Amino acid sequence: MVAAKKTKKTHESINNRLALVMKSGKYTLGYKTVLKSLRNSKGKLIIIANNCPPLRKSEIEYYAMLCKVGVHHYNGNNVDLGTACGKYFRVCCLSIIEPGDSDIIKSMPGDH
Amino acid sequence: MVKFLKPNKAVIVLQGRYAGRKAVIVKSFDEGTRDRPYGHCLVAGIKKYPSKVIRKDSAKKTAKKSRVKCFVKLVNYQHLMPTRYTLDVDLKDAVSVDALQTKDKKVAACKATKQRLEERFKTGKNRWFFTKLRF
Repeated sequence: MVAAKKTKKTHESINNRLALVMKSGKYTLGYKTVLKSLRNSKGKLIIIANNCPPLRKSEIEYYAMLCKVGVHHYNGNNVDLGTACGKYFRVCCLSIIEPGDSDIIKSMPGDH
Repeated sequence: MVKFLKPNKAVIVLQGRYAGRKAVIVKSFDEGTRDRPYGHCLVAGIKKYPSKVIRKDSAKKTAKKSRVKCFVKLVNYQHLMPTRYTLDVDLKDAVSVDALQTKDKKVAACKATKQRLEERFKTGKNRWFFTKLRF
């Protein structure tokens, strides 16, 4: 019971941080641009939804491993991630380029 | 945040005639050029992998089986899959962008890379690079 409560709280904090990044930072949404941001080493954190197809998920993780960039597996599917970004479409993966005022990069990266 | 599409990186070509072949980046153009306004790189890869050599083979047969056929190509980054492997073979003097302008220069570049890759294969190093990717 306590563990479930704790994940709920951290989940909300991720949502808050993501909202702050959407407002003040730079990001890209979508698989193609995520790979682009990894290739030119602009991405600082990658967030992947939990219903991302496993081949795509492992491809993004491999690129991130080569790049030494953190990957966060979002606790929610692409619909939830899109909502968390404040968008009215589904987002399967996103890349944070500039965190802006948020501390998402400092507090999230060890997370898997 | 570390750039990984650098020279000597082993990559797998994903699209085109050479899809599924392993290649090594010789020169990378991150910003693109006037003709190709996207990130791309010059790769030298294996067109035909060397066959499996067994101990029973005669010297003539091993020589025949260890032949490597090469290609040289400019490929978009999107059509490559980078790997964690590197292949440090010095191909910079043999392969350059102007080698792709005319057919005979291209053939000469392919011959030079063929020589270097064959001698690298014979030393037994970088075994992953010279094995065919099964898919």
